[in-house]
Amino acid sequence: MTSFKMKATLAALLLAGSMVPAVSAETLKIGAIGSLSGGGTAWGLAIKRGAELAVDEVNKAGGLKVGDKTYNIELVMYDDQYTGQGGKTAAERVVFQDKVKFVVGPIGSNPVLSTMEVTTPQKVLLMSNGYTPKILQNDHKASYNFRFTLTNIEFAPSMMKWVKDNLKLKKVGILVPNDAIGQSVAPPLVKLYKESGIETVVDYYERGSKEFSPLITRLMAAGIDGFDINFNAPGEAGLMVKQARQIGFDKTILQMGGPSVPEIIEVAGKQAEGFISYEMVDFDAPAVVPFVKAYAAKYGAGIMNSQTPAFYNTTKILFEAIRRAGTVEDTTKVRDAVEGIAGYDAGIYGPVRWTGMANYGVNHQLALPFYVVEVKNGKPVNRATLQVD
Amino acid sequence: MLSNPVVLGQIVVNGLSLSSIYILVALGFTLLFGIMRVVNFAHGEFAMLGGFSLYYLYAVFKLPWLLAIALVPFLVALPALLLEWLVFRWFYQKMFQSMIGLLGLNMAMIYTGLIVWDAFERNIPAAFDGIVRFGGVIAPIDRLVTIGISLLALAGFYFLMVHTRWGLAMRAAAQDVDIAATQGIDTRRIYKLAFVVAIGLAALAGALYGQIYAVSPFMGERPLFVAFVVVILGGMGSVSGAALGGVLLGFTESLLGTLYGGSVAAYASFGVVVLLLIFRPWGLLGKPE
Repeated sequence: MTSFKMKATLAALLLAGSMVPAVSAETLKIGAIGSLSGGGTAWGLAIKRGAELAVDEVNKAGGLKVGDKTYNIELVMYDDQYTGQGGKTAAERVVFQDKVKFVVGPIGSNPVLSTMEVTTPQKVLLMSNGYTPKILQNDHKASYNFRFTLTNIEFAPSMMKWVKDNLKLKKVGILVPNDAIGQSVAPPLVKLYKESGIETVVDYYERGSKEFSPLITRLMAAGIDGFDINFNAPGEAGLMVKQARQIGFDKTILQMGGPSVPEIIEVAGKQAEGFISYEMVDFDAPAVVPFVKAYAAKYGAGIMNSQTPAFYNTTKILFEAIRRAGTVEDTTKVRDAVEGIAGYDAGIYGPVRWTGMANYGVNHQLALPFYVVEVKNGKPVNRATLQVD
Repeated sequence: MLSNPVVLGQIVVNGLSLSSIYILVALGFTLLFGIMRVVNFAHGEFAMLGGFSLYYLYAVFKLPWLLAIALVPFLVALPALLLEWLVFRWFYQKMFQSMIGLLGLNMAMIYTGLIVWDAFERNIPAAFDGIVRFGGVIAPIDRLVTIGISLLALAGFYFLMVHTRWGLAMRAAAQDVDIAATQGIDTRRIYKLAFVVAIGLAALAGALYGQIYAVSPFMGERPLFVAFVVVILGGMGSVSGAALGGVLLGFTESLLGTLYGGSVAAYASFGVVVLLLIFRPWGLLGKPE
């Protein structure tokens, strides 16, 4: 009986499946990969919602016109659990099961690298985030992938120039954890300061420690006039800001890393006043306000992080490239269209500009503007808009 | 650096504020060992529950801070009697079994916390925001309050142990549980009392620790680790030893951390513990067994 039921269901499914092509001729599936469970969920939701808002826009306008056909867009998303293995599994499902040719996401170096292992050989176009240089600097020269968010390689030189010109610092204290991460983060940062003529004092704390007062006292005794909380996780970074102020450090506290301004304000409270960091989006800018409204209308007034507009932007650039290439099948043509899309304005960040040749050997890195912010009355306030070189 | 009086003063203030937290964390730990011979590996997790209790009472339900902090020890210690009945009582006077058994309880509590609260660090807003200046030396008021509460807890604890019949009974049970029982002391009740006091102190320590730093299911690791070092320094089971150990560890971290950096401070703290275990394994104020 059970097996009869199963056969019947299978037959029904096959029947339904055979009817699909008539409809799907007008439907274009776009893949999305991101964390929908665990600690990275906020980032996965940012990908999903950013892409959904772009998809809604196109579908409401009657669909995406490619050549002489018009497509209704459908988003297919899978969870990568913020791991390499999860990214690979999600990529296999989206590429082999759903036969998708274009993927937005994921966020995070490990999921991105393992997703690329699946998408690149299949010539599936990947539009991702991720911090490691290997995403663009690899054997195949990022043949079928682009990066849509900045890393320290992009923003640090411009931000350092701004710090040098505006904060007039002479000696900066840097605290990093005494482990592989700290030891890899500190030297390039020290070098960058040195090139700007700013002295540095570096100290290491034991991972897991929450008390930084003795070390900050030590940095203060060394005569620092700036304290850089760099790439420390938001929890630790927030405590550093709080404790530095509590023991009377009244000079500049900045962050050549992040961005995690809201989290740091949450931990440091009033002590975050005057803290300087960078943000990816100016949520109060006129060009961003309609997007913020559309977001609130669809998802309520919850917190939106800066990855959401980034993936809205990514998805819109992808649609425009598909439209210009005039094909939904030939990903090589679409890739070339993405490369040649410079000047197109998707709404939030201004005209598209590609960079990366000097650092990675390929111009597949999106050059976004970014913002130096200072905390005033408990809120980040824009101090400068910077461009990536 | 030491010739600068402001830096020296800051080292003392930082040392005092660290010591006070360390003493509070270690007191309950040493009490459980002194009386029941239980090495409470789950100590940090009761501190974690204290941190979450203050988070809910003060940050979420907006109770006045003094009321919230006074409620925390009861909110954690009284329900914990269930764990005493389920787990702890089987390990009394069984030091080695207690280590393994309570390590298991520690894991269970951390991961239950993870399921309930997720791994995010939560912030309890500061109840006292300002700073006080003595000359050039600066002390945050929240740290001064912590120092005050630690002193109060230490004094109250001393009073309980030395000047009350309950304390006398606890000390008797600590010396020889069978003889104490033959003298008419209800050792089961005394154990429960000691358990409630110890867990209440852990919860209080965790609440203050969580407010100064942050609250998360993993926040108990550091307090447990500190309690261990402090208690080994001072002597397992010795209350005055916990106070001395806390002051020593707090000032070592502050002085060496400021003069030579974080790694040297950690290295020296452990170096002293190793030397002590070789030459005086019962600790500075403990008694040789």
